[in-house]
Amino acid sequence: MTADAQRRRAMLQTLLLSAGFLVLVAISAASVLLVNKAREDNAWVVHTVEAESQISNLLLEVRRAESATRAYLLSGAPQFLAEYQAAATTIVPALDKLTAFTSDNPVQVASAAKLRQAVEQRLSEFARGIERVKNNDVSTAVTVLRNGASTGAVETIGQAARDMRAEEDRLFRERTDTADRTQKLASSVTIAGSGMVLALAFGSVLLVRQSSRARDLAENRLRDANLNLEATVDERTADLREANDEIQRFAYIVSHDLRSPLVNIMGFTSELEELGGDIFRRIGGLTHEAAGGPPPAAGEIALEGPDQQLSVDFAEALGFIKSSIAKMDRLISAILNLTREGRREFQPEKIDTRAFVETIVSTLAHQAAEAQAEIHIEPLPNLVSDRLALEQIFSNLIDNGIKYLKNGVPGTIRIRGRTKLGYAIFEISDNGRGIDPRDHQRIFDLFRRAGTQDKPGQGIGLAHVRALVRRLGGTMSVSSELNTGSTFTITLPINWNASNRNADK
Amino acid sequence: MTLPVSIIMIEDDEGHARLIERNIRRSGVNNEIISFKNGTDAMKHLFGADGSGLVQKGHALLILLDLNLPDMTGIDILKQIKENKYLKASPVVVLTTTDDSQEIKRCYELGCNVYITKPVNYENFANAIRQLGLFFSVIQVPPAAS
Repeated sequence: MTADAQRRRAMLQTLLLSAGFLVLVAISAASVLLVNKAREDNAWVVHTVEAESQISNLLLEVRRAESATRAYLLSGAPQFLAEYQAAATTIVPALDKLTAFTSDNPVQVASAAKLRQAVEQRLSEFARGIERVKNNDVSTAVTVLRNGASTGAVETIGQAARDMRAEEDRLFRERTDTADRTQKLASSVTIAGSGMVLALAFGSVLLVRQSSRARDLAENRLRDANLNLEATVDERTADLREANDEIQRFAYIVSHDLRSPLVNIMGFTSELEELGGDIFRRIGGLTHEAAGGPPPAAGEIALEGPDQQLSVDFAEALGFIKSSIAKMDRLISAILNLTREGRREFQPEKIDTRAFVETIVSTLAHQAAEAQAEIHIEPLPNLVSDRLALEQIFSNLIDNGIKYLKNGVPGTIRIRGRTKLGYAIFEISDNGRGIDPRDHQRIFDLFRRAGTQDKPGQGIGLAHVRALVRRLGGTMSVSSELNTGSTFTITLPINWNASNRNADK
Repeated sequence: MTLPVSIIMIEDDEGHARLIERNIRRSGVNNEIISFKNGTDAMKHLFGADGSGLVQKGHALLILLDLNLPDMTGIDILKQIKENKYLKASPVVVLTTTDDSQEIKRCYELGCNVYITKPVNYENFANAIRQLGLFFSVIQVPPAAS
């Protein structure tokens, strides 16, 4: 599983969740809106029904007023008069109510106006009829009522009421349809939204499952990688060990084979020297004989002038050759010793470091006294390490400290120690001539030295010490300024065992 | 030098061989010196064509052996000499450039009589060879097994 795909999946997951959330919000909003709409629609339906009932109510009251008027005309009984008055008083408010109810619809407003006019006309006819009856003019009253019927007020009332009812019926149907539609819409929105949410949830679950499968896979791989790592490290270590052995063998063979021709060069140079002696002795003898002098004593070389010069030049040349050969031999021996050290197997043992360093210091006491140097040993942590290697490390560093003191200044060499995180840190410091920071790397190189070359040495000590410290699994560094002394710091594992650095066997 | 001892020198480096020979002669040893430049020829001479060493029966030998030979190691030659019933009594002087203590120990364990490191310092070398000459005059090279 690549990181890219993982990022894509995480983004998709977020997108899905946000989409789900948005859908939920949309559904909620739509539901609220639609419910409101439905309520409104229903209110309108109720409104229509009420308008119709108002119309019926009004018509009923008109009929009631008419029949009461008629009964009064026929019988003249006062209870019919009372009934008429009761009906007449309810008609006007009912009419007002109907007008108010239908004020939202211009068609109904027109019809209502027509109705009102007709009803009012009818009411005035009733009133006139009743007036006549009260004056005992029944026949006129009947005529008035009959005329009223013939003026069409009754018909107009019927017509207007029918119109209004038809209109309200139409509105009722319309509004019922609207309400139904709204309800259908609401339910379909809810269904669609729920479906979407379900789909998103399903997608989410799929994604989660996919990522958890990927994670399991990655975990498995990690476990495998961890198992393999050990094997890989072992393999690499074996390779390194082999390479190191190869280098050691190479150095050994090369330096060894270099010595062989050197034996010849030195041997025959010595032979030449002897031959030279013989030749010059002979020349001397011959010169003397030619000059008529007595033969020189045996073994004595008696040369004069240019012959003597020749002999001196010859000896000088041979001298240079021999000293160079001696130097080369020392270098080769040093390499041989180093590689031999590299091949030696370390034997870790418990070391009482302080007593151990005191022993080394006592072997250097003579040099220290000669150089007027004091050596202070502070408490040192004990270690488990190779005794011989440690001895070489400490004696080289202390010896260097004694060797490179400032002329005329009493030397102080201090050996300190402390521990840190499983490592012992030793510091060997002096107040000697110091090392130029430019040379700090160089002094650890084989055959390289720094500063005034007034002491014998091959430039091997520090290279050797550093190689040993490394083989013991440690590190080494120097801090120094010219004329202020040097401090060499060695960090070594407190518990060295062959297994943690067996690559160097 | 009354004993008819032959000195067998197995040394691949001609220069070394010449220096050794000169110093032997200088120390007054005049025995016959037979030199070989490689192990194979030396083995053929010492053990004969059949490899039994029978050819050397009755001969008194002193063997100067270099350890670094082009075709085999001196150690192998030393081992075979010391395992052969006709040759094992012959003194073997190992003369080599190696001063590795392990190798010296190994040679003595295998029965070498003297181990000399070829020093680059010529005086030491000459001295060593002269001492060897002295050694030649002192040792009793055993009469060859009859």
